[in-house]
Amino acid sequence: MITLITGGSKCGKSRYAERIFSNIQPEKLYIATMIPYGEEAHTAIERHRKMREGKGFKTIEKYTDIHEILPIESSSVLLECMGNLCANEMFCGNKIIDPTDKILMGVQHLNRMAKEMVIVTNQVGDDGIEYAEETAAYIRVLGEINRRIAEFSDNVIECVYGLPILLKGVLPC
Amino acid sequence: MVFVIGGAAQGKIKFVMEHFKPIAIVDGSDCFLSIPQNSACIIHYHLLIKRLMLEKMDTAEFTRKFCSENPNAVIVMNEIGCGIIPLEKNEREWRENVGRCGCIIAEKASIVIRMTCGIPTVIKGQSI
Repeated sequence: MITLITGGSKCGKSRYAERIFSNIQPEKLYIATMIPYGEEAHTAIERHRKMREGKGFKTIEKYTDIHEILPIESSSVLLECMGNLCANEMFCGNKIIDPTDKILMGVQHLNRMAKEMVIVTNQVGDDGIEYAEETAAYIRVLGEINRRIAEFSDNVIECVYGLPILLKGVLPC
Repeated sequence: MVFVIGGAAQGKIKFVMEHFKPIAIVDGSDCFLSIPQNSACIIHYHLLIKRLMLEKMDTAEFTRKFCSENPNAVIVMNEIGCGIIPLEKNEREWRENVGRCGCIIAEKASIVIRMTCGIPTVIKGQSI
């Protein structure tokens, strides 16, 4: 079972995703993709850590190559966030690469092992700004990754100020 | 008239191709700036608005005429107003015009569809 949660930044996606997991028994795996770089990242990571505290998550920090993770069978996986993972994969070297297939392979790999999987992603292309090519490429690539994950997801939800809006499937909670 | 909106890279054009199968497509990024008649589909309407502005044309007036001359068209336009209002005047006016024209089209359209992650949500009219 895959649930994709999208929405703008700071719209309550994480909180909603964690709510889905509150009724799930361990083993619960949290895959953190944000590189702790700079003060704001540290603050965000700390805030999310506090939110997960005492909820039975085991945290794995994995900024790229999610296909290398070996979850225990029948565990539940929360991947947060696809926006970071996509940027990390695209801009890790001197040359921009298109990580779409690699990331989708990683998601399929995790999904084969996990009983329940929730993916948090980001809506980034709604501001009308004509960005420089590398940012424009990021918007295109993340858009395609989101569309392709949505295709095989059981549930797709857009979060608006913490309120879940159902786009596909059913609301898990 | 059908109005399909959504942010960049949400699968709007792919959805229109598969669902409405338009026989011909006018591309707002490079079409003539005259009003077409009885067209099946126009994409990148937000870019057409930008081009009309460069020619100092009245975008709302154009859009009203466009809607009456193309009553069966599928119009595809990006949502561009969900960021910070830009400091630059032209950029601000572009968003304003896109917003106003979007409201005009949505009012005239019998169906309005908003695309997110490739998934259509009907926000006006009967289900598709």
